[in-house]
Amino acid sequence: MYDLVIIGSGPAGYVAAIRAGQMGLKTAIIEKSVIGGMCLNWGCIPSKAIMESAKLFNRIGKDSSRFGIDGIDKKALSFNWSKAIKRSDGIVKKLTTGVSFLLKKNGIEIIEGEAKILSSNSITVNNRTIDAKNIMIATGSKSPEISNKIDGLVIEAKEAFKDRDLPNNIVVVGETPVAIELAQAFSMMGRKVSILVPTENLMPFADIYIVNQILAKLKKDRIKIYFNQNLESTDGVYADGKLNIGESEIPCDIIFNAKRRKAIVPESDIDIKLDNNGYIAVDEDCQTNVEKIFAVGDVNGLSYYAHIGSAQGMHVVNFIQGIKQKLDLKKYPLNMYTVPEAAQIGLTEQEIKDQGYDYKISEFPMSANGKALTEGTMEGFVRILSENKYGEVLGVQIMAPNATDMIAEAAAYMELEATVYDIAQTVHAHPTISEVFMEAGFEAVDKAIHK
Amino acid sequence: MKYIFKFPDIGEGLDEGTIIEWQVQKGQQIKLGETLVTMETDKVVADIPSSKDGIITATYGKVGETIHVGDALVEIEIEGIEGEAAVEEANKVEAVEEEGAGVVGTLEIAGNSAVLSASTEGMSSDNTETTKSKKILATPVARAMAKDMGVDINQVKGSGPAGRVMKADIQNFSQTKTSTSYSSSTTSAASINEMPVEVEPMSQIRKTIAKNMIQSKHNAAHMSLFEEVEISELDRIRKKFKQDFADKGSKLTYLAFVIKATALSLKKFKSLNSEMDMDNGNMLYKKYYNIGIAVDTDKGLMVPVIRNADQLSIFEISEKITEFSEKARAGQITMDDMKDGTFTITSYGSIGGLYAVPVINYPQAGILGVGRISKQPIVKNDELAVGLTMPLSLSVDHRIADGGETARFLNQIMAYLAEPVSLVMG
Repeated sequence: MYDLVIIGSGPAGYVAAIRAGQMGLKTAIIEKSVIGGMCLNWGCIPSKAIMESAKLFNRIGKDSSRFGIDGIDKKALSFNWSKAIKRSDGIVKKLTTGVSFLLKKNGIEIIEGEAKILSSNSITVNNRTIDAKNIMIATGSKSPEISNKIDGLVIEAKEAFKDRDLPNNIVVVGETPVAIELAQAFSMMGRKVSILVPTENLMPFADIYIVNQILAKLKKDRIKIYFNQNLESTDGVYADGKLNIGESEIPCDIIFNAKRRKAIVPESDIDIKLDNNGYIAVDEDCQTNVEKIFAVGDVNGLSYYAHIGSAQGMHVVNFIQGIKQKLDLKKYPLNMYTVPEAAQIGLTEQEIKDQGYDYKISEFPMSANGKALTEGTMEGFVRILSENKYGEVLGVQIMAPNATDMIAEAAAYMELEATVYDIAQTVHAHPTISEVFMEAGFEAVDKAIHK
Repeated sequence: MKYIFKFPDIGEGLDEGTIIEWQVQKGQQIKLGETLVTMETDKVVADIPSSKDGIITATYGKVGETIHVGDALVEIEIEGIEGEAAVEEANKVEAVEEEGAGVVGTLEIAGNSAVLSASTEGMSSDNTETTKSKKILATPVARAMAKDMGVDINQVKGSGPAGRVMKADIQNFSQTKTSTSYSSSTTSAASINEMPVEVEPMSQIRKTIAKNMIQSKHNAAHMSLFEEVEISELDRIRKKFKQDFADKGSKLTYLAFVIKATALSLKKFKSLNSEMDMDNGNMLYKKYYNIGIAVDTDKGLMVPVIRNADQLSIFEISEKITEFSEKARAGQITMDDMKDGTFTITSYGSIGGLYAVPVINYPQAGILGVGRISKQPIVKNDELAVGLTMPLSLSVDHRIADGGETARFLNQIMAYLAEPVSLVMG
């Protein structure tokens, strides 16, 4: 009898497993494919590696001469996808090996195979029945597939970062930050990129202020966007390197699927309730309708972020151990690996309005920051939304080259329920890009110094 | 090495006290048993003695500040103990002799986290943090909100990491407070603005009295019985021995007789000297007879206990009464003086009032009220005469004592008082 059996070894599952091992729970983790799941193997990590290659390539072409580097023949520059992929593969290998090591080190049994839930405390895998006091479903999600008969035309998310020829006309499908990230990366590699957005706007969860900035940036990058266009099949709409969508004819050699992801629900003999969108329905402690069966990470549809999945996984392990805490999704940062990066935490301005707060917005631009100027990265801002009575920080939005790192500061403020006075009093070193945060804090309390 | 002396658990379920006066200063030499600080707990004012010889290197808390049991009070530099010995020393749970301690019995001195090693290695620094931080953990928003809403943040239980008080805790606290507080709270708040009202924080003693009264009224089924007893004979004996007692430095009061009469009566009616243990479904009949006497002091009501009153002579009881009244006047009644009572007598009559409905000193089974003694017309041998009467008001916990037994018990007390010689007849 295991204390805990986890199905799926992505960031939600494996982090929970390590935590459970550390706490002395007899734990097993079942994985049908490879340790690390989508994030480590095909998602977060390879995409960041490729993005870095694209940024560097783009920058050498665009900035080298201006920054005082002679001798670079722009015409001779070309992007080698295969080499970039090779570098990415090396990083992935290092990380997945590390995760396997940590699982073993903490005494977690790794079981390869596909799990099926038999009852509230038993699972079968490879014809072996495993008894478990608690079951954690961390099976993740995937984008709904695009039906396609033409070989190599549609690339599903798991296949995105594989060695292949990268043709000139690329179509990305999806409203997600991942869709924008892919589109911008390909664009920086010198490809012609279009995005088919199934919804009426990009990134529905993001503050409209960030969305509008991204839209402007995409326009500047000459990336074409087609809203309200979902691509379910290439049949009848694709011919001779062209995609006929609505009244538009879009040049297209290859299609990347980055649609909003749907739950991968494991097979089960007992009735585990799903919500209206097909995700496993859970309560505030990630428990399903069946007691002691939990669902964490993408599969419960609360978020599509690895770190939130990890937080949920650890929460459940604590919960099992009787440690009561509160999961507050509004205190977790949401990262967008766009160019420049964007990140937000807390409430959006619309949510603040809806909740009837008396609030103010304090923004400080990157363009007024010394370090940003020296680095030649002046796009972006820090934007603090605070309520007026106590100065509580309700939300923070950042666009900056390292916005996804900078948001950590905001996350600490949110976790500690800090006020804008605390931000203004926190001295930030000079010269740094982080000073922008302090200046936005000054702005919130009274007035920024350098604005 | 440095030793952190924490506010010890001085028993009786006390968990906090207020600093009345510091008796030591930083840099001062202190000896074991010497008073460090005078604290008002919720029952008494107590001098807290040092458990070590050494030099005071820090004191924590200002006069008027509330200190919880286990919080650091002083830091003492102890000479001559280093390294392992220091750790061992700190791990000891010390029993301080009652004489040495003055007021309190066993002092549980803080455990292994109470030592600050003189060298940097060894003891981890987080120990110092826990002992030194008396400021409650709370988020900035929670603090601002508490201040704004007039919530005492120290009373709020934090739900955040390490018990940090969060915004939601203040909101919840303030909500439950408004929903459960008496309806008069809004009007009294309003009257503070309009009418002259002096607002004064409640003393610990007042808080305890309030808590105990509510507990008693809530738990015990009060029933009261009134009687009067003619005490001419008792008065004669008292007058006869008064000077005698005075010569020996004591004062012979009617109360001494009432105490003796009550103690002896309790021996005959065991349910009046009992306690009900509802949780375990048991009756606890006590085979000791400790009579608490309600004493009126500046700070409020206190109930010191005369132990084994059944075995004491009237003189010994009188001595005890004298001792307690002096201590009460000086504010020196201690926790020890007040514990283990089995029955209580309140003699309000010395101030005024004939009958009362006394509130039981819960979980005791009864309380006897003694009213004002006065000359009254009485019928003696079918003739009107002048008698000296003492009104008695007995409240019992009707869960424990039935009416008949209560009446018989009171009759017994009256018999002893009417014929005091029976007190020594057995």
